[in-house]
Amino acid sequence: MVTALKSAVIGTGVISKEHLQFLRHSDQAELVGVCDLSPAASRYAAEQFGAAAAYTDYRAMLDQAKPDVVHILTPPQTHQRLATDCLEAGAHVICEKPITLSYGDFETLWETAQRCDRHLIEDHNYRFNEPILAINQLIEDGSLGEIQEVEIRMALDVRNEGGRFADPNLPCPVHQLPAGVIHDVITHMAYLALQYLPSIDRVAAAWSNHGGGDLFKYDDLDAIAIGGSVHARLRFSSHTQPDCFSIIVRGTQGLAETDLFQPYLRCITPRSGGKQLSPLINQWVNGWELINASVSNFRRKVLQQTPYEGLHRLMAQTYSALSSGQAPPISFEDMARTSQLVEALLAQENRL
Amino acid sequence: MKLWITGASGFLGQYVVAAALAQGHEVMAVVRPQTNAQRLSWHDHPRVQLVRLDLRQGRGLEAALAGADAVIHLAAVKSGDFYTQFAGTVLATENLLSAMAAQGIGQLIAISTFSVYDYINIKPWGLLDESAPLVENPKRRDEYTQTKLIQERLYREFERDHQAQVTILRPGMIYGRDNLWHSLIGAEIGPSRWLRIGGRSILPMSYVENCAEAIALAASSSAAIGQTLNIVDDELPTQHDYTEMLLRVTAEPPRLISVSWASLRLLAWLAGQVNHRFCADQARLPGILVSDKIHARFKPLRYSNESAKRLLGWVPRYDFSQAVARSCGESDLLAVAHDPAKSPQRTVVPLGGG
Repeated sequence: MVTALKSAVIGTGVISKEHLQFLRHSDQAELVGVCDLSPAASRYAAEQFGAAAAYTDYRAMLDQAKPDVVHILTPPQTHQRLATDCLEAGAHVICEKPITLSYGDFETLWETAQRCDRHLIEDHNYRFNEPILAINQLIEDGSLGEIQEVEIRMALDVRNEGGRFADPNLPCPVHQLPAGVIHDVITHMAYLALQYLPSIDRVAAAWSNHGGGDLFKYDDLDAIAIGGSVHARLRFSSHTQPDCFSIIVRGTQGLAETDLFQPYLRCITPRSGGKQLSPLINQWVNGWELINASVSNFRRKVLQQTPYEGLHRLMAQTYSALSSGQAPPISFEDMARTSQLVEALLAQENRL
Repeated sequence: MKLWITGASGFLGQYVVAAALAQGHEVMAVVRPQTNAQRLSWHDHPRVQLVRLDLRQGRGLEAALAGADAVIHLAAVKSGDFYTQFAGTVLATENLLSAMAAQGIGQLIAISTFSVYDYINIKPWGLLDESAPLVENPKRRDEYTQTKLIQERLYREFERDHQAQVTILRPGMIYGRDNLWHSLIGAEIGPSRWLRIGGRSILPMSYVENCAEAIALAASSSAAIGQTLNIVDDELPTQHDYTEMLLRVTAEPPRLISVSWASLRLLAWLAGQVNHRFCADQARLPGILVSDKIHARFKPLRYSNESAKRLLGWVPRYDFSQAVARSCGESDLLAVAHDPAKSPQRTVVPLGGG
């Protein structure tokens, strides 16, 4: 029999839908409270997702609902304060990215978690998407050889008029982050690249604001990180379309690529037909994969499935770990290295 | 009276400001910080005070309300995902009501919509009036319906908790200059084609100047307090009549592809069955293939504006042909004479004063 952990959520913005859907349907969690500064928002979320109570004061929620786990889904500027209070109240913390705004803040928060004997987990959801798990399996099987390069490319139309980031009437809080709107996604790019990067030896980054104006600090990033012999390129663009989140991993024997927004998996690897037949086999296999991906992506679109499938998988594994007293799937190393890489890239902002 | 009008630069709001001025009110016209107010003819009217703020942010709202006698709340977000509309409609309203309570302003004219009605459960050619049922399952409709229903709930809670004087007005489809082609007669398919759906249904419409006049009148109508009133014009046209008019006045009309209401209804029913049986109702289908949505747009019903006319003392000033002529004309519909006018008086009762 599964023992459900008492869960609570702080913040009911866009991403809360995914966390709350998991909590509503999981037999590992019991949603004891939802908190938002807006009474209407917390009430709506509580009603829609079956929370036991709605709160507008998270301290009252911690006192009354006494959750075992708190999901912090508020703007990043508030994470450290909220997470500290939740940890000190005896709750494990699952926090949206970026968990803190600097590596130093992360170290402080981690020390608090250690002192309180609680777990601290940053949401690295895309690592748990099926195509990424498939690429990692290929690497584990040795199909790609030694990894030499990884390219993470994200294109998002954040300057779209009418979009939440481009509204000049009420600037989104992410514009106040060190990397502006790119800070909202750079954690994803960093933790994905770091899966394949053994160390962070050298970095270079060009941060640009090609669209100009005062609202956006940057709208474009072109960065390289080198660890050992592995090169990672991180590229963010708000001026290319369509939106994409592509990952290409190249090894000494082959490559694998995907796009998490329109999932598919393309692999060029040595096949059983040897050097003569492998190119032909790769063509046929990839063509077949593409047909399958087209069908499944059409189905995903119609059934409103989002690229957040990895978040649900990550949450399930996290709750299992918390319930059984095992280490969560996102480790200190994962979060620390991610925070260090982002900080190192930010330090390059005026170098080019 | 001094009226605090939100959404003042919106399609309806700009006409409501003009109507309120024409009725002799002073207006505090609330526009977003980046709005170009110069395009609004009344922006420099001596009885207009522009208030620049974004209702999604509560900071500064209470102070900005100082001096107002009543609020006409039009601001809402009609596009974007649920969370965008929730912020622009629900959170904005919540902030406004909280500031009104703090400032002791107890009179609210709240603008809702026909979209809150549960069309699918009303019999064909039945009467849709203020007693019609509200949507039972808002998720089968769209984000606009969902957020406007939550908004109406907030209005009635504000009325109950603060003994406030709240009038909710639900306009039908509002049309006027630059807003003639609308979703009750069909759907755009590409830049030059229009799917023309149905023909016999009566259109629950209100010409924007008529609707604005009704809204402004509600501010000085004691009889409308606590009421919910539908706003539609007299002698409503059918889909066929309205579309024929559009073809006459549109310089380069789109090519029309006609589909009968019965055919579309059958198609949507079939799509719904497939969704239910094979997709557990999780498929997101185009709006014109969702029964709940097409009933809300094309179903033949009858409408009444009797309550609004009786309680507001309102008579729609322009009939259909006059409304079309004004919509297609060149005259400045927002111009209001600067002559000093006597503001209609009404006893303003502070919050908690009954």
